[in-house]
Amino acid sequence: MIVEIGHFSLVLAFALSLVQFAVPLAGTRMGEARLVAVAGPSAVAGFALTALSFAVLTAAYVQSDFSVANVWENSHSAKPLLYKVTGVWGNHEGSMLLWVLILAFFGALVAWFGTNLPASLRANVLVVQGLVGAAFLLFILATSNPFARLDPAPLEGRDLNPILQDIGLALHPPLLYLGYVGFSVCFSFAVAALIEGRIDAAWARWVRPWTLAAWVFLTGGIAMGSYWAYYELGWGGWWFWDPVENASFLPWLSGTALLHSAIVMEKRSALKIWTLLLAILTFSLSLLGTFLVRSGVLTSVHAFATDPARGLFILLILVFFIGGSLSLFALRASTLSQGGLFHPVSREGALVLNNLFLTTAAATVLTGTLYPLLVEAVTGDKISVGAPFFNLTFIPLAVPLLLAVPFGPLLAWKRGDLWAVSQRLHAALGCALLAVALVWFFVDGAGVLAALGIGLAAWLMLGALTDLAVKAGVGKERPAVVWRRLKGLSRSIFGTAAAHFGLGLSVLGIVAVTSLEVERIEVMRPGDTVEIAGYTLRFEGLVPHRGPNFTEEQGRFTYFSGGVRAGEIVSSKRLYTARQMPTTEAGIATRGFSQLYVALGDATANDGVVVRAWWKPQVLLIWIGGLVMMAGGTISLLDRRLRVGAPSRRRARPARSAEAPAE
Amino acid sequence: MPFWITAALLTLLACLAVLLPLARRRDGAADGADSDLAVYQDQLAELDRDLARGAIDAAEAGEARAEIGRRILKAAGKADVAGARGNGRAGRIVATLAVLAVPLASWGIYAAIGSPNLPAQPLAARLDRNPAENTVFELVARAERHLAANPEDGRGWEVLAPIYHRIGRFDDAATAWGHAIRLLGSTAAREVALGEAVASAAGGTITPEAKAALERALALEPRNLKARFLMAAALAQEGRGDEAAGAFRAILADLPEASPWRATIAKAISDLEGGPQAGSPGGGSDADAGGLISDKDQAEMIGEMVAGLDRRLRENPGDAAGWQRLVRSYVVLRKPDEAADALARGIDALGAGSEAAAGLREFAAGLGVNAKE
Repeated sequence: MIVEIGHFSLVLAFALSLVQFAVPLAGTRMGEARLVAVAGPSAVAGFALTALSFAVLTAAYVQSDFSVANVWENSHSAKPLLYKVTGVWGNHEGSMLLWVLILAFFGALVAWFGTNLPASLRANVLVVQGLVGAAFLLFILATSNPFARLDPAPLEGRDLNPILQDIGLALHPPLLYLGYVGFSVCFSFAVAALIEGRIDAAWARWVRPWTLAAWVFLTGGIAMGSYWAYYELGWGGWWFWDPVENASFLPWLSGTALLHSAIVMEKRSALKIWTLLLAILTFSLSLLGTFLVRSGVLTSVHAFATDPARGLFILLILVFFIGGSLSLFALRASTLSQGGLFHPVSREGALVLNNLFLTTAAATVLTGTLYPLLVEAVTGDKISVGAPFFNLTFIPLAVPLLLAVPFGPLLAWKRGDLWAVSQRLHAALGCALLAVALVWFFVDGAGVLAALGIGLAAWLMLGALTDLAVKAGVGKERPAVVWRRLKGLSRSIFGTAAAHFGLGLSVLGIVAVTSLEVERIEVMRPGDTVEIAGYTLRFEGLVPHRGPNFTEEQGRFTYFSGGVRAGEIVSSKRLYTARQMPTTEAGIATRGFSQLYVALGDATANDGVVVRAWWKPQVLLIWIGGLVMMAGGTISLLDRRLRVGAPSRRRARPARSAEAPAE
Repeated sequence: MPFWITAALLTLLACLAVLLPLARRRDGAADGADSDLAVYQDQLAELDRDLARGAIDAAEAGEARAEIGRRILKAAGKADVAGARGNGRAGRIVATLAVLAVPLASWGIYAAIGSPNLPAQPLAARLDRNPAENTVFELVARAERHLAANPEDGRGWEVLAPIYHRIGRFDDAATAWGHAIRLLGSTAAREVALGEAVASAAGGTITPEAKAALERALALEPRNLKARFLMAAALAQEGRGDEAAGAFRAILADLPEASPWRATIAKAISDLEGGPQAGSPGGGSDADAGGLISDKDQAEMIGEMVAGLDRRLRENPGDAAGWQRLVRSYVVLRKPDEAADALARGIDALGAGSEAAAGLREFAAGLGVNAKE
C-alpha cells in the first residue's frame, strides 16, 4: 500500500505542477490577483508531495521491497544500509526523481522567501518552474517510472553497480543536481523577466544569490565527482575530459560567467540582456548535461540505462525549453532597457573580459564534447576527442583569464586605473616570480612549464590576498586601523578573495600533479620492493577477505621513508558476488597534500601481480581548492545585502538606518 | 489506513492548496515600481556604509549617489504595471477548472498506470510470514537463509536441491547435492541427481564432472536406470554413436514392456542410427539432463517414480523419510491436493501423536503443505 501512496503522490505532484504553470500565468495575463496567488501554495504542496514520493521510494529500498521493479534492479538485501539509501538515486529513475525533488524544493524556496518580490515576477518565476517540473514529471511517469511494480515479487535484487557502492554516491549526485537545478531558478527568473518585458532592480538582487548557491553546489559536485573518479576507477587520473564530466563542467563555466555578470548587473544595472542570456544558456547547458547523461547517448558508467524512448523524450524537453527560451529572448530582448555605461578599463570591463573568456572556453568544451556525436550521427564514424584537444584549446584560454583574475577585484567601478592597480600588485608579482625561480632551480624534474604554472598559482593566491590587503589599507594605515577596516569589509569581498584563492590552490595542485607526478609499473612478488619519489614500497602479499556483499584479494603493502616504516597501504581487487562484477580499489596513503597511490593489476603466472604505483605531489590541493571556492561562495552568500534579497517592505525604515553606523 | 482513504486525503490537501488562495480576497498585486524603490533605497544605505567605512571616497560616492538617484526617478516615473483588473468571471472559470483539474488529472493518470491493489512487500515481512502463504520462491529464500546459518544441515540441502533443479537454478542444485552427499553420504540417487544437475548447468552437456558423479552412482547401484541412460547419452555426445546405441539397447533389454522409457530410448537409438551428427542425443540445447528427456517425458518419469514410492509406502507405512519424500515430490510436481493427502496419510500411518508424525508435519509446513484438520 505505502508504495502506491508514493506513486499516487507523484502523479498528484504532476497535476499540481500543471496548475502551478497554467493558473498564475492566466492570472498575470488577466490581471487576476487571486489566480496569481495560487503559484506559491501549489509550489509548496507540489514539493511536499514530491518529497513524500521520494521518501516512499527510499523506504522501499531500505526494506528491500522487490515488488518495486526499480528496487529489484538496483538493490540487494545484503547491501549495507548506506548503499541501500544512496542506491535510490544510483539509477536512472531514482536520479530523475531526485532531480525533480530538488526542482520542487527550489520552487518552494522561491514561494517561501519570495514574499518581498513583486507579485507578478514571483508568479512568473513559479510558472516557469512549474512548467519545467511538469515536463520532467511527465517524463518520469511516462518513460522512467520508479514505482513500476513486479508481481510476483522476486526474492533477491540484482544489486547496485559496484562502482557506485561508495560514499561518493551519497554526495556527488545530490550536490551536482543541487547545482544543475539551482540554475533552473536563474533560468525561471530570466524567462519571467522576458515574459514581463522588464527587468527590475529586485531581479538582479534575487538572481545573484541563486546563482551563487547553485554555483557553490555545482563546484562541490564536480570536485566530489573528480575525487571519486580518482580513487574509485583506479586509473590514477582526476579528470579525463570525459563527455559526462564535460557535461557538468559546461554549466560550471557559464555559471561562473553568470555569477560575475550578475555582479555588474546588480551594482551597475549594466549587462542586463547579457546576464539574461547567460542565465538561459547556463540552465540550457544543465539540461544538455542531463540529456547527454540520461539519454544513453554517451555510454559510460553514468548512463544507467539506454532506452531510445527516454532519449527522444529528453531531447524534446531540451528542444522545447532551450528553443522556447531563446525564441522568447530574440523576441523580447530588444524591449528591455540597457543599463549604465562604463569605461573599458573598469571593474565592469574586467568582468566582461572574464565573461568573454569563460564563454569561449565553454564553447570550446561544448564543441569537443558534441563533435564526436555529430560526426557519428552524420557519417557513422566513431571518433573520440580526447585530452589533447582540450589541453590545446582550453588551457590557452584559461591561462590569460587566470593571469587577469587578480586585477579584477582591484579595479574601480565605472572607470578604473590599470596602472595604479598594477602598482598595488607589485608585491604579488614579485613573489610569484620568486616562486617560479625557486621551483625551477630547486625542484627535481620541474621544467619551465611546471615552474611557470606554479608561478601562476602563486600569482592567483597572492593576488587574492593583495585584494584584501589593499582594501584594508595595509601599508597606509596603522595596524589597529587596518584590523578595524578588515573586520568591516563586507562578506562578499572576503568571498571573492577566498574563491580566487581557492582557484589558485586548485591550479597549484593541477600543475604539480601533472608535471611532477611519478609512475612505476612493476610485476611484484611478495617481498619485492619498488622505489618511488623517495619512498620504498614493499609488497607483503595477497590476502583474501570477505565483505558484506563482495569478496576481495587485498594486496598489502608497507612503505618506508628513509628506511623507516611510514605506514601500510591496502589495495584490492574485489568481486561483487550478485553481479559477478570485478572492481579495483586503489590503496592510497596521504602525506601532507601529496598521495602515494597503488592499484593492483592482473596476476602473472609465477605468483606475481602487476602493481601500478604513483606519487601524486600536492594532488589534494585540487579538491581543497574546490572546497575553498565553495567556502568563498558561501561567505559571499551570507552577505547581509544578498541574504535579504530585496528589502522587506514590512520592515520599518528607521531600524535599517540604525544598523548602518554599527559597522 | 487503506490506500484509497490516504489517496483521497492527499488529493484533498492538494486541492486545498489551490482553493485557499483562490478563496482569499486580495487587494491587488504588489506594485513593481514600489519594490524597485525599496531596492534603490537599500543601495543608497549601503553606499553610506561604504563611505563611512572608507571603502570609497567622497567623489565616487557622490557619483554613485547621483546614478542611483537617476534610477529612482526613472522607477518612480514608471506606469503602474499591475495594470487593469481583469473581469471576475473569466477568473472564476479558470479557478474552477484548476480546482477540478487536480483530482481529475491525478486520479485519471493513476488509474491508468498505478497498481493500487498490489501491497508493499518488504523482504523481512515476506520471510516472516506463515509458510503456508509463501510461494515456492519465498520458501527457497527461507531455506537459503536457514542453510546460510546452518550449513551443516545435510537434510536441508537434500530438500532444497531438487527444488533448485525444478526452478532452473542448476548450479545451485549441483552445489546443494554436493553438500548433501558430503554430509549425508553418497547414494546412487544423490550421485545421479548431482550428475544431472551438473549436466543441466552445462546446458545439457554431460561434462567430465557429471560423468564422474554418474560413475560413482553406477558403482553403488550398477542397474540404476537413469545413470545408465545418462552415461549412454554421454557416449552419444562424444560422437561414439555405436557404443551409445549399444548401451541404449542394453537398457532397453532390461526394461519391462510397459515402461514409458521405452519409446524415448527407442527414439534415441533410431536417431543414432539415422546419423550420428544430425540430431545426436544430447546435442540439443534443452537444458535438461542429456537433452533427451523432454519436459513431458520427465514429468511422466517423475510421476512413475512417485507412484512407485506411494506403492512402497502403502506396503511399508512406517518409513518416515519416505513419507517426507512423497510430500515433497507432490509439492515439486505442483499437486498440492495430493501433497496434503499424502501428509494426512503419512500422519495416520506414523500414528497421529508420534514424534515422527510431528516431524513430518513440520517438514510439510516448511514446504507450504498443511495437514487438513
